Amino acid sequence: MAAPNDDRLLHQRVVGGDESALGEIYDRLSSLIFGLSVRVTRDRVIAEDITQEVFLIFWERPLAYDPDRGSLRAWLATIAHRRAVDHVRAEERRRVSVLAPRLFEPAPPRLEDTVLDADEADRVRRAVRRLPEALRAAVELAYYGGRTYRQVGEELGVPEGTAKSRIRTALRRLAEDLAEQEA
Amino acid sequence: MDPVGRLYLDAVAEDSPVPERSLRPQLLAGARARRRPAAATVSWAAPYAGRVAALDALLASAVDDDWSRVIVEGGTLQELVAHLAAKDGLVAAAVGAPVLGPPIGAGDALGRTAEMQAHERARSPEQTRRDWRAQADALCRHVAGADPDRIVSAGGPAAPVRDQVLARGLETWVHTDDAARIAGLRLPHPVPEHVHPTADLCARLLPWTMLLSGLDGTGRTLRLTLTGAGGGAWDVPLGVEDPPGGPIDAYVTADVVDFCFLLGGRGEPGTVAAELGGDVGLAGDVLRSAPALSGP
Repeated sequence: MAAPNDDRLLHQRVVGGDESALGEIYDRLSSLIFGLSVRVTRDRVIAEDITQEVFLIFWERPLAYDPDRGSLRAWLATIAHRRAVDHVRAEERRRVSVLAPRLFEPAPPRLEDTVLDADEADRVRRAVRRLPEALRAAVELAYYGGRTYRQVGEELGVPEGTAKSRIRTALRRLAEDLAEQEA
Repeated sequence: MDPVGRLYLDAVAEDSPVPERSLRPQLLAGARARRRPAAATVSWAAPYAGRVAALDALLASAVDDDWSRVIVEGGTLQELVAHLAAKDGLVAAAVGAPVLGPPIGAGDALGRTAEMQAHERARSPEQTRRDWRAQADALCRHVAGADPDRIVSAGGPAAPVRDQVLARGLETWVHTDDAARIAGLRLPHPVPEHVHPTADLCARLLPWTMLLSGLDGTGRTLRLTLTGAGGGAWDVPLGVEDPPGGPIDAYVTADVVDFCFLLGGRGEPGTVAAELGGDVGLAGDVLRSAPALSGP
């Protein structure tokens, strides 16, 4: 899925060395990137470092991002997630290595254009199934079925505004449910 | 991105904590240290400053092998960067900006390029990159206080300072695109506000590219329509001394970036996607002669 035009223009500006574009991207996406990093690391200080690093990587090597392959939001989230997971794994390795010497280093994680690995995606799908029926149906139509708010409303026989608020409620419930699972 | 990933991001976004303090000032300071932003300069020089920053970003990703790879016309990436520094240096000399590198012996592009390449050959690619960027930024800083309409000569035809700098921007853009292709990267276009003045320069050069190709367009006028972000429409008198306002004889419609690249010596006049109208023979002559000013 190609990136929206806003992303293209911001990318063009960053490639051309316009630091105010980096500031705009930060304003738009930093809370998502920070939230994502906190969820994985459960450490606000580490999450702040990761957040900084994600935006710096994009500024320093903007040509690594290709708007034809996806949104800027997904690209930065993927980098943040990978960094956060790497941090957690390094911490685990450190804890394990004081207890027992290890014979094999685990293989480095594969670099993929996705924010979630298979286990994590499964957890999200299970959390969706735990949602109350009305919320679950709305989310499944919108995300798995690629429908617009209006189409979700039509299929569920409710006004568009109701469909929209159900989806937002569902997203908040999902976030809480996933946070409980992670804790 | 897959639907589950998107769902997860949207859920996190609905329920994200914010950092206790804004990381923004720290981020921008850190960014400046990691990669220098485009040089601060006047708006008419900003297209050039932007292309310099873009090439620098590309060079930041270059690994050892990339520097010795042949990019264009038999030159390696390091030689290409030295070539750009040479021509930037000639414009710097013409406008009274500091000239970096060895003192200018040859005042023409080929001669100065040979001097710079000989000088840089003894240096590391990273030093060549730094020398080129320092020269480009020095030029940007200097022209911020210069008269854009003063006519100067920089080893080629005399032209206003503004056009000399825009032409440096076009050449830097074209070569960055060459290098990006070799590296398998896609270079995004400059922002529309930078494409437009570059296209305007290219349109105004058409009488000269005709003349250099042995064609005299005196008394004829072309309506040039360039499509895409930064494009526009230009009525171009095709004689170098023609006043504007003559009746339109021929029409050319093309993509604005394709057109700039054609003037920059990239793409084939015969195969570039263009619609011709009116006196199509004349319109074809204009396209065929368009690359005439592009040199090494």
